[in-house]
Amino acid sequence: MKLLFVCCTILAAAFAATGDECYKDSVRVCKSVLKDNKKDKKDFSLPSCSAKYGAILEMLPELQQYVNSHITRNFEYMLMATHYGNYEKSREGFEKIFMDLSDSKWDTAIDLIKYITKRGGEMKFDNIKADTVNDENASYELYELNSLAKALDMEKELAERAHLIHGQATRRRENLHDPEVSSYIENKFVHHHAETIRKLSGYTSDLTSLLSGPDSSLALYIFDDYLKKQSIV
Amino acid sequence: MKVIISVIVILAFVATSSANLQCEHAKPNIPTEWIDMVKPCVKKMRAQIQTELEASIQYLAMGAHFSRDKINRPGFAKFFFQAASEERQHALKLISYLLMRGELTSNVSKLIKKTIVPPIVSWTSGVDALKDALRLEAKVTKDIRGVIEECEDPKEEEGNGYNDYHLVDHLTGEFLEEQYKGQRELAGKISNLEKMMDEHKALGEFMFDKKLLDEL
Ligand SMILES: [Fe+2]
Repeated sequence: MKLLFVCCTILAAAFAATGDECYKDSVRVCKSVLKDNKKDKKDFSLPSCSAKYGAILEMLPELQQYVNSHITRNFEYMLMATHYGNYEKSREGFEKIFMDLSDSKWDTAIDLIKYITKRGGEMKFDNIKADTVNDENASYELYELNSLAKALDMEKELAERAHLIHGQATRRRENLHDPEVSSYIENKFVHHHAETIRKLSGYTSDLTSLLSGPDSSLALYIFDDYLKKQSIV
Repeated sequence: MKVIISVIVILAFVATSSANLQCEHAKPNIPTEWIDMVKPCVKKMRAQIQTELEASIQYLAMGAHFSRDKINRPGFAKFFFQAASEERQHALKLISYLLMRGELTSNVSKLIKKTIVPPIVSWTSGVDALKDALRLEAKVTKDIRGVIEECEDPKEEEGNGYNDYHLVDHLTGEFLEEQYKGQRELAGKISNLEKMMDEHKALGEFMFDKKLLDEL
């Protein structure tokens, strides 16, 4: 009988630890309304009623940095597109793919913020990964092949970061398991990255062989015209 | 023997020259008489692009704040996320304009700062954020007026008196038009919300939020 009682107590304690904290909070705030009638000094907060569960708390810093990296990439691609939009460069195709990439980074940043808050987190705009903005003097006015190469590097970096987040959510660190995070990363990032990276890699191959031909200026003109009709994202 | 050597040399030369990738091309020789924007005006326009992007990120922070579980105002969040994207579009529109006028052929890399941290990240209520938004728009309007003034009658020596009719018209007709309409819309929203919250604080904001969600 004693043993049963002990078991019950342990079970109840375990249940309380994981199960009914929000409920307790709600009971507490409801009582506090009845007890004291002083209008200002009431604590109506329900700290245990957040949307947080799983491993989201540990994942948050990484996710926040990922948002900020997308915002930065959006600006960088914007500059690359601008460069190709000027009358001297006049490469509409290059302008288009870089603007598409910029738009896509921006939309993804918003989507990621919504996701963070869906999982009970908050967005921190000052949590910026140290090496994202490695060089204040970085140039975004690049020749065609170099610009595609730079874009490919940037996309790969974002893809690897997605893998890192996915890995952390999948018990790479002990006790951290959050299949909802890994599923989100897979569906929203992993497959898209593979597409974009493959396309950019293909473009650099094409352009490399075209530029080694007898008339690289004409080749660039034709390749740019081809890019106008491509969708990179 | 001599022939063989010279053939080899020629072959080697052909091989290396065809292995050379021509990635860089000379700048084309285009008349520049048509490029008639003056420096102080261009400078103001470039700065305005950054201003629009900063507004965009401030709205993004508002969207993030109202999306939080403890705040839970999806209507406000949607409204501010949309505003963030609109501000970004304003920046892009200014860039397009400068490109159309033959600008932005150099110094493009310094046009935009790569990171922007929003100055304010939390608000006590929806009406508090809307008021901040209205203040922000008023500031942007003032900045656009500053661009117009500089482009209509540049004071600095480099552009002395050059009236950029088309840009002034464009900024007045398109940008200021949108500013004034947007400000009136915000003021109206603040008015309605504040009156509702006078008597029914929580319920007022709750209902206003759902209305925003439906309308947008
Ligand atoms: Fe704007």
